[in-house]
Amino acid sequence: MSETILSIKNLSKTYDNGTQALADISFDVKKGEFLVVIGLSGSGKSTLLRCLNRLLDPTSGQIFFHGKNIENTKGRAVFSVRKKIGMIFQQFNLVPRYSVLTNVLTGKLAGMGVLKSFFSLFSVEDKSQALDYLKLVGIHEKAYLRADQLSGGQQQRVAIARALAQKPEVLLADEPVASLDPATCHVVMDYLRKVNQELGITIICNLHFLSLVREYATRVIALKDGKLVFEGSPDQITEDWFQKIYGEGAREIHVQ
Amino acid sequence: MSNKNRYFLKARIFDGFNILFILMVATVVLIKPSQNQLLDLKFNSSLALLFFLVGIFLSSVLSQKGFLTWGNLIFKSSSEKPPQPISWYKTLWGWQALIILTLSIVVGLVMTNFSFYEILNREGIDGALRLLTGIFNPDWSILPRAVNHMIETLFMAFIATVLAIPFAFVLSFFSARNVMESRVGFLVYLSLRTFFNIARSIEAIIWAIIFSVWVGIGPFAGMLALMIHSIASLAKQYSEMVESVSMGPVEGIKSTGAAPFQVVWFGIVPQIILPYISITIYRWDINVRMATIIGLVGGGGIGTLLIQYQGQAMWPQVGCLVVVIAVVVCLLDQVSAHIREAVK
Ligand SMILES: Nc1ncnc2c1ncn2[C@@H]1O[C@H](COP(=O)(O)OP(=O)(O)O)[C@@H](O)[C@H]1O
Ligand SMILES: [Mg+2]
Repeated sequence: MSETILSIKNLSKTYDNGTQALADISFDVKKGEFLVVIGLSGSGKSTLLRCLNRLLDPTSGQIFFHGKNIENTKGRAVFSVRKKIGMIFQQFNLVPRYSVLTNVLTGKLAGMGVLKSFFSLFSVEDKSQALDYLKLVGIHEKAYLRADQLSGGQQQRVAIARALAQKPEVLLADEPVASLDPATCHVVMDYLRKVNQELGITIICNLHFLSLVREYATRVIALKDGKLVFEGSPDQITEDWFQKIYGEGAREIHVQ
Repeated sequence: MSNKNRYFLKARIFDGFNILFILMVATVVLIKPSQNQLLDLKFNSSLALLFFLVGIFLSSVLSQKGFLTWGNLIFKSSSEKPPQPISWYKTLWGWQALIILTLSIVVGLVMTNFSFYEILNREGIDGALRLLTGIFNPDWSILPRAVNHMIETLFMAFIATVLAIPFAFVLSFFSARNVMESRVGFLVYLSLRTFFNIARSIEAIIWAIIFSVWVGIGPFAGMLALMIHSIASLAKQYSEMVESVSMGPVEGIKSTGAAPFQVVWFGIVPQIILPYISITIYRWDINVRMATIIGLVGGGGIGTLLIQYQGQAMWPQVGCLVVVIAVVVCLLDQVSAHIREAVK
């Protein structure tokens, strides 16, 4: 639990339209952590995650992954960064017309040749691995159904399996349970914890509900207007901090 | 330029053209220009420019005074408050619209030599009756020839569509805004879109004339003409489909570390494949109809036969061709509608 896997230094991001979404953010992520990012809508959480796996280009600052700056990598190197830092999304982002299995297999695309991908020639080994990951998130029986026939919670588990197929070292989760009902919420969060604890994959997860934060996070950072305003353990988020992060008069909502 | 200024400018230009039109018509009516005067492009365009500037000036003055011109009404910015609901005949724009529309219709009728006398002319009616009698008594003896040429036309349209598909498919991604995100990409997107628009605005029949000189009269020229036109049309329609895909799956595939080709192939293509099939079948349908017309200028197929018989006033033979064309077009229309419904 001590080795630093990601080190973010003075990271800033200003969008083309002039919106500054991240302002001079610095923090470290330790290997094996379950780090949760909280903050109001629009505070920059999604932007932060998308900068970390280079879906977005940061405006300035550095991101050290195993001590190597990945902020200025270009071309193919970016793809291998994305492969090692997987991601799941609020809207799951599966390909609706494809089967569950094919969706998981797309996690194997990084580094695959043009012809092989053109004809979807995934190896037998890839397929059995994909099925294993589906088993890990408890959904292997649905492997041959179309992805859009699954419920939201099931789709998010498929998305986790797709990310696992990349064999990532870090998994980014952008509000993974925000479009799910409270019961399903915990199922998905429990699988994320399983991925974290059993596979040792570092997790950085954006969350809305503080009760979930207290239950799953090993450490928390909070963003407000693109700035880092809190860094600590979940039980350090007192009423005072809560008001500071979410604004005066904010009230906590509980998910049981 | 701020948005408000842009709307203001558009309104002035619109009104300018309105007034230009009214003044031009007035000038023609008052002066009754000779043929030579009508052909004096230099003088006439200077006059038009003058009228246009007068129009812009008038429109600026009027709208400064608080009148709502037709241009103001059409190009008002969304931030402006909507005009008071008053009867149209109490407004400037109402009268402006009325005058422009009436004037356009009158000028149009005059230009097309609209004449009840010609429609009811005895000799003309007799001629038309002869033609129609011929067409309604088709000469079935040429049916085998007609069918052979129709088959040529069908395949001309089919091959043109099939050969256009791969070009249009590949080009459609390079001309979609959401795929070409980088700065260089934007230039590629812009030049391709411009090229498609130009190629499409040249009718297939013009391409057929060009190719009938290039490769000689016949079905090959017609096929090439349809192919060029189909590439441009399909690529434009395809790329609009690409631009309408949901970007979620695309982002999902991107996040796995997939290369751009893989992102397109796995993230975008599965979302557009059905609309593509539908669009393509419809294009084949259109191409069959166009292929008939293209034959008229030497593009081969049944159109070529049609123009031959028509030139010799062989109306019963023309009648047979018309029946064959109508039956095939109708059938194809039904078939393509059914297939498109099925792949929805
Ligand atoms: N593609 C974009 N272009 C411009 N501004 C954006 C874009 N995405 C997000 N923003 C802006 O950046 C800020 C942070 O957004 P985001 O990272 O989505 O916050 P969060 O995920 O915490 O809700 C917001 O003000 C948002 O409006
Ligand atoms: Mg967000």
